Amino acid sequence: MLKIYGLFLVSGLAVGSLYALGGIGLVILHRSTGVLNFAYGAIAAASAMFCWQLVTWEFPGPVAWCLTIVAGVFLSVLYGRLIAPGLAWREPAVKAVATIGYTLILLGLIGFIWDDSPRKLELPTDKIGVWILGVRVTVTRLIALASSIVVVIGMIRFLERTRIGLNMRALADNRDHAALLGIPVVKVETMAWTISGALAGFTGLLFGDLVRLDPTVITFMVIPATAAAICGRLESLPLTLIGGLAIGVLEAMLTLYKPLAPLRTMTPFIVAGLVIFWMQRGQRLTFVRDR
Amino acid sequence: MKKIPDILSALALVTGAMLLPAVPAVADGHSDLSCGLNTGKAATGEPIKVGGINGNAPPGDFSGGTDAAAAYFDCVNANGGINGRPIQYIVENDQWNPELAGQVGTKLVKDEGVVALVGNGSVVSMAVNAKLYADEGVMAMASACAISDCYENANIVSTNQGPLPSGIGALKFAIEELGSKHAACIGFNIPNNGGWACDWMNKYMESKGLQGSSILMDPTAVDLNSIYLQALAEGVDTILLMLPAGPAIGLLKVAEEQGGRDQFKWVSPTPIYEPGVGNVLGDYWSGHLYVNIELAQYDSDGPDNKNWIAVTKKYGKDGDRLDTFSQSGFISAKFFTDALLKLDPAKIDRASVSEAIKQIVNVESDLLCGPYYVGDADRHMPNHAGRMVLYKDGGFETVRDCYDIDTSYLDPIRAQEKALGVTQ
Amino acid sequence: MARRISGKNFITLAVVLMVIWLLPLLLSSLWVKVVTSAVIFSLAATGVSILFAQLGLINLSQVALIGVGGWVLLRLNYATGLPFTVSLLAGGIVAAIIGAVFALPAVRMRGLYLALVTLMAAGALQILFNAFQFPNGGEGFWGVAQQSAGDVRRPFLAQTDGAYLRYVMLVVAICFTIVGMHRFAAPGRAWAMIRQSEANAMAAGVNVTFYKTWAFALSGFLAGISGGLLAGALQQLDARTFVAGDSILLFALSIVGGAYHWLGAIIAGLLFKLLPALFNDFGISADLTLVIFGIALLHAIITAPKGISGQILAGISSLAARRRVSRD
Repeated sequence: MLKIYGLFLVSGLAVGSLYALGGIGLVILHRSTGVLNFAYGAIAAASAMFCWQLVTWEFPGPVAWCLTIVAGVFLSVLYGRLIAPGLAWREPAVKAVATIGYTLILLGLIGFIWDDSPRKLELPTDKIGVWILGVRVTVTRLIALASSIVVVIGMIRFLERTRIGLNMRALADNRDHAALLGIPVVKVETMAWTISGALAGFTGLLFGDLVRLDPTVITFMVIPATAAAICGRLESLPLTLIGGLAIGVLEAMLTLYKPLAPLRTMTPFIVAGLVIFWMQRGQRLTFVRDR
Repeated sequence: MKKIPDILSALALVTGAMLLPAVPAVADGHSDLSCGLNTGKAATGEPIKVGGINGNAPPGDFSGGTDAAAAYFDCVNANGGINGRPIQYIVENDQWNPELAGQVGTKLVKDEGVVALVGNGSVVSMAVNAKLYADEGVMAMASACAISDCYENANIVSTNQGPLPSGIGALKFAIEELGSKHAACIGFNIPNNGGWACDWMNKYMESKGLQGSSILMDPTAVDLNSIYLQALAEGVDTILLMLPAGPAIGLLKVAEEQGGRDQFKWVSPTPIYEPGVGNVLGDYWSGHLYVNIELAQYDSDGPDNKNWIAVTKKYGKDGDRLDTFSQSGFISAKFFTDALLKLDPAKIDRASVSEAIKQIVNVESDLLCGPYYVGDADRHMPNHAGRMVLYKDGGFETVRDCYDIDTSYLDPIRAQEKALGVTQ
Repeated sequence: MARRISGKNFITLAVVLMVIWLLPLLLSSLWVKVVTSAVIFSLAATGVSILFAQLGLINLSQVALIGVGGWVLLRLNYATGLPFTVSLLAGGIVAAIIGAVFALPAVRMRGLYLALVTLMAAGALQILFNAFQFPNGGEGFWGVAQQSAGDVRRPFLAQTDGAYLRYVMLVVAICFTIVGMHRFAAPGRAWAMIRQSEANAMAAGVNVTFYKTWAFALSGFLAGISGGLLAGALQQLDARTFVAGDSILLFALSIVGGAYHWLGAIIAGLLFKLLPALFNDFGISADLTLVIFGIALLHAIITAPKGISGQILAGISSLAARRRVSRD
């Protein structure tokens, strides 16, 4: 029996690390720019499909993977420089809604360029695996987990130790004051779009490999990823990581409890819903802050 | 330079790209080609409108039936048509979308006024349109059906078996030859698809004093790994893959990752039986995956199978699927054409065509194990005996030839067959 | 309301009745079905628009609520002998209650977090629908059997697709009227004050909690009614119609159509259901409709907050003004 729990724990961590990676990309961007980017999933999907195309054109693996991340950065910065500045002073909700527009454009273009036929993305690390708690875990899954942890630690150190990181934090705290202080807002924001885009490309690559190379599925993985980000209150990277992993493990464990097994994919939404209710406890009705 | 992983090109092959080269070449000459009147003259009369609906979108492509029917009708039109009248075959894709399925069904039946539907293959369209067909008195000779509605309606008759007989056929073999005691049926949680078939699987296991479990998954589910683990947690000894080819292959990949080949006995109904699947599955599964096939092997020597290859080669399009559903679409179109040829070409309308289809009794083909029939009944399932093949060295080898199944589901069907004088 | 039916209102009524009578006669069977869907989704879009235009709230769960209304109608259809219209109302009321429950967090938060709550709800409902499916005449609470769907009763005078389209248009016209009345009555005034400032509204004695909840309930009610109408139109429902992605899309189209006028909701419904069907019929990839929607949404948010309907109405009124000037 213990072995079975181990199985689901390991499997859950693998799924959870994907949620977490998505959530982290969303949080990094939201902290610095105030944009909750619903197009994150679509950027990941476009990058993953682009990678498939490169592999089909017989690009060497490492080149294809690097270009995938470049594609993510390009699509992210494209929006960040072209559209986002025009909305900089609007409400956060409006900024988020605008990214839905970008999502639709990307999703439509992906569907137009690549038809529906099933595809597969493979990494050489899929073939190598280790046995943990009776489950064979491929190196790709280990990369997903490790990279989510590394990104969180790396980002925290980056924000603490570097000039641009300091600026990002300043921007996150108060955009108006940061601008008054002469912080190069556009430069800092572009940096955030770049990092977030690179993560989107990377997440798309892993998602296409580990789950399914289906643009619609990858595009809407932004919804459970948002759930992970909500666990971090759209601000905290470590909490987002923990939230994503916890959701993944809980979701996998529910498989063992038959009555709830068909509903286990609701886990991200229910967890996020509970977090929101908990966050708004004690808020007074008047003077609602629009955050 | 890193080569493209074989799997990619292979999957593209299996799932829709050029399949032609994978089918063993048959002496090309047109000696095998035979369509309708075989006059060699194109039909020029007033076209007869025939419809077809397929479902081609993720997570599965069910267009093989309409592809082959289209090729056969083209061949018929080039060979005298229906006593001089060509068939105008109108194919719509429901994209697995129920609302769209209703719209295209209405378009074909009401606006276009088709005399019948042939070659249909979809998981949603029949559920949505069954009532429309009954109300409008139009018959559908389907080819790639996968839900109960295809087998439990008066106006629908499907040439393929669907998941139920094919799945039970696979289980019967697993029990008798592999010693299965507890089988997990992994299917999609789509109305009247996975639940329907897996319920009957479980009943079948129970009727043999054995155990069955259903594992139904959301078709959009992202995590195949946990589906596999669910089977593992269930403690079964056999896994029945009640899924379209794409997801079934995905699940086999997960099992391979987990080293699950020897942990279970692996059986599957027809969908995974496709030329080219060997390139995707690779050596790992060789000798470990048993598949029940609803029609003859695609490289068999029967005249109808050779004709199918010749017709699809000459009249098919690049990218046509050449799978079991294609064979099924071909033979449906052939039976349909033969029935129409008996009619007075001036008096072909929906009523006469529906009647002619119902008159089809005891027609035979080497593609089918038993005779095909329609008759006037409230449900139809003419094809329920199949063959078993084993995946080996990238191809398939027959391990058991034609055998029928024993399930109480077939009781009303057996009664019909008795009344019509059909012996399976 | 003391106002009499003015001449202008009378003309509007006559035009609406004419359209309701004529439209089914002019369309082929396929387009009757498509237009029925489009009109039904227009009604749901109205619900999204009310929340956005009146209170600035973002509702990303409307399509899921349509599913709720449809579920209730199907359940009552099979479990009871109630007339269609009664089941329809029941579906509307249940969806209204669920909509009001969503308002719980909205009472204390606005903006982004509310949008996220509704998005999470849409995600959860999508999975519920998929796990339990829609009733098709089976036994038990969920009412699902492995069988062909049974008959869904339609209203007595609306058995055919054409007549049913008339019924749908009539119901939608009535609902639009109810919504219109809200805007000019107490709730509309309360909403306007809340939109300006919740604190001021409260100080002025407006029951903020009540009116916010009321807006959500009204929006949910409209979704529920459209769900029932959809079930009657299709004769069965399928979980794949109510995915979270479509809730997001319907919200986007409501903004594109224009949230501030009923015409915007009609445009949203047409964009949502008619445009893809037209593309499909012309053999153009339906994926391109998404690109168009995306561009239109960005355009609406950045430069045209009143959407297509706003631009049309502005065009009409400037035309009228020019005429008046030239006449003078």
